[in-house]
Amino acid sequence: MNKQNTPFVNQELKAEKNDLTIAVAGNPNSGKSTLINAIAGSRLQVGNWPGVTVEKKSASFDFQGRKITLVDLPGTYSMSPYTQEEVIARDYLVREKPDVIINVVDATNLERNLYFSLQLLELGIPLVMALNMHDEAAGKGFRIDEEKMASILGCAVIPTVATKGEGIGRLMETAVAFADASEAHRPVVISYGDDIEKAALAIEKSLKDHPDILAGHLPLRWMALKMIEGDARAIENYKAGQYAAVAENATRHLRSAHGEDLEALMADTRYGLAAGLTREALQKPEKRKRELTERIDAVILNRYAGIPIFLLAMWLMFKLTFDIAGPFTDWLDGVIGGPLSRWAEVFLTAISAPEWITSLVMEGIIAGVGAVLVFLPPIFAMMFFITLLEASGYMARAAFVMDRMMHAIGLHGKSFIPLLLGFGCNVPAVYATRTLENQRDKALTALLIPLMSCGARLPVYVIFTGVFFAAYAGTVLWSLYILGIVLAVLMGLLFKKTLFRGEAPVFIMELPPYRMPTAKNLMIHTWEKGKHYLIKAGTWILAISVFVWFGLNMPWGVESKKDSYLGKTGQIIAPVFAPLGFGTWEAASSLLTGVVAKEIVVSTMSEVYVPETGEEQQEESPSLGEDFKEIAVSFAGAFGEAGKNVFSTFGIATMSAEEEEGTTGLKTAIAKVFTPLSAYAFMAFVLLYLPCFIVLVAMRDEFGTWKWAGVTIIYQSVLAWVVAFIIYQGGSLIGL
Amino acid sequence: MTLADLKTGKSGIIVKINVSGALKRRLMDMGVVTGTDVIVEKVAPLGDPIEVRIKSYALSLRLGEARQIEVEEIKNHE
Repeated sequence: MNKQNTPFVNQELKAEKNDLTIAVAGNPNSGKSTLINAIAGSRLQVGNWPGVTVEKKSASFDFQGRKITLVDLPGTYSMSPYTQEEVIARDYLVREKPDVIINVVDATNLERNLYFSLQLLELGIPLVMALNMHDEAAGKGFRIDEEKMASILGCAVIPTVATKGEGIGRLMETAVAFADASEAHRPVVISYGDDIEKAALAIEKSLKDHPDILAGHLPLRWMALKMIEGDARAIENYKAGQYAAVAENATRHLRSAHGEDLEALMADTRYGLAAGLTREALQKPEKRKRELTERIDAVILNRYAGIPIFLLAMWLMFKLTFDIAGPFTDWLDGVIGGPLSRWAEVFLTAISAPEWITSLVMEGIIAGVGAVLVFLPPIFAMMFFITLLEASGYMARAAFVMDRMMHAIGLHGKSFIPLLLGFGCNVPAVYATRTLENQRDKALTALLIPLMSCGARLPVYVIFTGVFFAAYAGTVLWSLYILGIVLAVLMGLLFKKTLFRGEAPVFIMELPPYRMPTAKNLMIHTWEKGKHYLIKAGTWILAISVFVWFGLNMPWGVESKKDSYLGKTGQIIAPVFAPLGFGTWEAASSLLTGVVAKEIVVSTMSEVYVPETGEEQQEESPSLGEDFKEIAVSFAGAFGEAGKNVFSTFGIATMSAEEEEGTTGLKTAIAKVFTPLSAYAFMAFVLLYLPCFIVLVAMRDEFGTWKWAGVTIIYQSVLAWVVAFIIYQGGSLIGL
Repeated sequence: MTLADLKTGKSGIIVKINVSGALKRRLMDMGVVTGTDVIVEKVAPLGDPIEVRIKSYALSLRLGEARQIEVEEIKNHE
């Protein structure tokens, strides 16, 4: 560790600190994310802020021989304590006290951005303003006097164009120089008028004698102003609870004079200054041109065309996500099931591993790795399109168009996209909830996603409708999808009134100008999400796969699946399903394995209903060279197919839609065991009961807690049972 | 009248905000403060929410919230 950085050397010694922490703060849509990418690029680390679902980006790198830690704060409009993002940003700035703040400001939207800048300046941390999207502002005919801004605000102002990397070098140099000369930092002091100033002074005076408040970390004036604003969180969190009385005394007459409006008065003052500053420093052309964004919106948000355009965009996104991902998923599936498994087998035979080890490696570990990897292509594709929609500005429009409908069931306009993706695969859909800002909306959406019938459930429907409803298979299939949607609406209403009661959802959203997303941004976001999934979710998925292997194969050497732990569990729980019309250990065991992935219900059924006759035919093992060739050729083939799918959007089945091969034996077997009624009840049950465990792991990954996965397990088990019960018993009553 | 009553294309000045707490603060943080000009730009295809232009940017909010914002219509002098 560097000596200069020991805690004993404080600001009084003017030595340059070798390690610098730079926080990047700004409004949403200010180009903050692009700017961070421009500075840090591949050195960026993406994680979550502790205990919350808000994404945290940071990077460490050397700059001019100094070790820089860059921390991206969540995009916020204010420093008030009402949203999770605001609290995170504020707590970080107050507690960690970075050496310098880079404040990213959208040059085309100066006034509202400056409102936030003024609040940042009050924290007393040296601030360098990145006047971003400078080119766009110039294109609108804006002329901004940066020097004037800098001198009024008492900070540095550097014009930048993050998308082109312009001004980034100068920004970093200035930030480092500012950190070194922090005592020279003299930010503008906002005057809130005599009354408030007097009260602030009084509070400051009484706080001055108590240096224990965060060990002098905070400017006393900031603390005093927060107390006057009645910011309870600031008072509690920053160990100033004992001074609440002080604040109470000082603000009593203020409150009686202004009441509730005290907070508004302070916001007005800040806006007044922001507006004044904008008038001083910004010259706009006389006549405002009708902007490109407005012209696009005239079409996209049109009364009549708005919804068809939205539906078309959604349909394209859905098709592209799963059609591009599909061939790669199949390819991974093929490589893992083919060459990789063969190599493992050859290796295990060569070291003469015991049979159970071979089984564990092949069916537990390799299958588990496969289960992790096959979701990677759809997650990449989903993240790519979500980032594209967000960065381009369309996401906000999609929410605007859909909000009325989604709001009716207690959701947010943006909830539509994750739910829609759920029809392809629930796993990327759960990750797509990150587009929702509010924790409540996010959790509620994630809870409803499993009711969207994903592609993996289709093979189950296909087998059963094939046997029992061949004449009107299409109608029966549709009815299951509709059943899921109807139940999602009902559950949405129920959750709104129970789990999420009292949490009023808000929809106060900026419609940012349309902007061209940069390839770099798209790549970084897509890659980071995939990486995060592999590391965080992958570990869990692998562990659970091994656990499932134990259930299926232990005690070792059982003759029939009936005697495995799985079969035994199936026998125990089978009576639970009796009132639903399928109380057999075979059905119960199949449902149990369906938790791994719903299409496995079919393969388990094949195993338990149609006991294997004789050894499987051994294939001729290809050589290593042939294996590599096969992998390469099929990978190229996947690219080709994905490309083809982009253009021919019709008639391509999404994931796992095709009927499993060799199901004739199974069909004969289930025709004997099920009736059309119990078959329908069974399909409804498969639709509604637990999603596959990957979805549950994704929920835990996305929310940082098992809570919502737990809620899902409970409500879906109950819901599936109740619905299947109603179908079977109701049907029996009316004589079906 | 309230912001929800303002017709598309019409503008007004915000005179009062009839909510409190977090919602009020959120509105203020987004620039919805008294004395500010606001123009109703669009109504969503399904009738709710609406899009307004305020402090030179586009903001969307639901009619429920818009009803709590009192405005005084600015008559055009055409």
